[in-house]
Amino acid sequence: MQRSEKLLYLLTILLITALFITGMALEGPLEVVKQVVSLQKESARLINDFTLYGIGTAMFNAASVGSLGLVLVYFATVSLSGPTLSAILTMMGFAFFGNTLLNCIPLILGVWFASKLARKTFGSYSLIALFGTALGPLVTYVMFALDLPHHLSIPLGLLSGMLAGFILPAVAGSMLQLHQGYNLYNIGFSCGFIGLFAANLLLALNRMQAITVTWNTAFSLPLVLIVPLFSLLLMATALIVDKPKRSFEGFLAIQKLTGRLPYDFFDTGYFGGTLLNIGLLGLLYWAYVLAVGGPINGPVIGGLFTIMAFGGFGKTLRNTVPVVAGVILSTLVFAKSPTAPSPLLAALFSTTLAPIAGQFGVIAGLLAGFIHLVMVEVTASWHAGLDLYNNGFAGGLTASLFIAILQWYKTNRPKEDFTT
Amino acid sequence: MKRKEFLGRLIGEVTNFLLEGNPLRLVVSLHQEDDGAHISFFDDQMRSEEEIKRIYNSLNPQKSRPELAEYYGLMAGHDMAWDARLKLIGWQIKHASVENSDSGLRIDLWLGSDAFKSEHFTLDKKGKRK
Repeated sequence: MQRSEKLLYLLTILLITALFITGMALEGPLEVVKQVVSLQKESARLINDFTLYGIGTAMFNAASVGSLGLVLVYFATVSLSGPTLSAILTMMGFAFFGNTLLNCIPLILGVWFASKLARKTFGSYSLIALFGTALGPLVTYVMFALDLPHHLSIPLGLLSGMLAGFILPAVAGSMLQLHQGYNLYNIGFSCGFIGLFAANLLLALNRMQAITVTWNTAFSLPLVLIVPLFSLLLMATALIVDKPKRSFEGFLAIQKLTGRLPYDFFDTGYFGGTLLNIGLLGLLYWAYVLAVGGPINGPVIGGLFTIMAFGGFGKTLRNTVPVVAGVILSTLVFAKSPTAPSPLLAALFSTTLAPIAGQFGVIAGLLAGFIHLVMVEVTASWHAGLDLYNNGFAGGLTASLFIAILQWYKTNRPKEDFTT
Repeated sequence: MKRKEFLGRLIGEVTNFLLEGNPLRLVVSLHQEDDGAHISFFDDQMRSEEEIKRIYNSLNPQKSRPELAEYYGLMAGHDMAWDARLKLIGWQIKHASVENSDSGLRIDLWLGSDAFKSEHFTLDKKGKRK
């Protein structure tokens, strides 16, 4: 294991440990475990803010889901680097409003079965397995919200999750071709696609309930401090490990990358520059939420964690700002409140489209962000909130539209035709 | 026809890359064995040492990345409208060599099982392989 990878393990373990300890300190060790066990029974569809069950409970749950991700990466013998770090941090972020150990494991098992059938190592499918936990609500919804006896609903939920996980590698590969790597949350796009079928099947069985939004607006200092403290830790590590000059040099070099999938920023050789990028992304968008007066609750922490997660795998300050500006513009044009759940989360998660701004420029990024908000407000109802990465689903649709148009334009340039 | 799709992706991506240089001549040669294959690409565009090094590094990544190869590797050779990304195939092959031949660039890709030995191939190699 290289030194940089050991450092990433150390930083991730530090974050997980801090969340475990804070969770226990806030609610007491026994109470927090009891609460997290009870959280497993939540259907967890969008948007179910776990901080409403207790700040410590949500933190402890995030730490347990993060531990699962880290252990899987270690035993799958894939390196902890940009892509795997992005998956673990994203899972942790979504464990503040949807992911639990119970709803993650069946999906991971399903992907494992698919890897066995395809005679691949689990490591080959590890990213699909980790990000595939986006469909976690499917498992717990079937288990606990269908009004079936538990001896029937629990095996059915396990089976649904495993089946969804099993088909995910096939769907994810095809979805990637649609947007050609310009939507960073490709598994979110794929899970939304699978979620459409699952939700409509449940609807046909008259078993689909309407979406509800639970959204914590109460102030919590520990929640407010998570992101800036972790960001500062990453930035301090960057400056110590790589020296300030090289870290800034690396940070500037990373800003020039388009971010199109799959680009592991740690592969540039700028370890410090990448950590600096992750830390600054966290600080910038945390400041944005505070500036517009938004609450720092479970879903918002999820959004901020996801932005940081992809700070080593596609997102930079340069390629995210135009897309977020597009969402803000759309919010203003359609007279929405920037602190309402949908526009606020869209501003954070719209950064899935950052590669469009990175490759095609500021205007394209603005347009993508503008359209994204319009899309994301309706797509959750299509899959009935079963896909936690709803912005990945909406982003995939937006990116596919952009790429289809640009591709048509590129392949029809008359000046490059053969002359007669 | 798993092998056909895999070879098609590799050939597509390298061809995409070579066509970006607008060559007047481009040759692709495939030699298959039970346990592996060798694909050679020739064009008529000489490259600088720096370019050759860059291409070589893209095709021969320092670390094995199975999590990227199996999933994102599916994008290789699929779309000719965008810039070629040799890294996508670098994760999926055993080895690549890159050099200037008499007339232009020559890229050799070696792929296959662990039992596959590229030295069993007898294609004439002029100069030292990078």
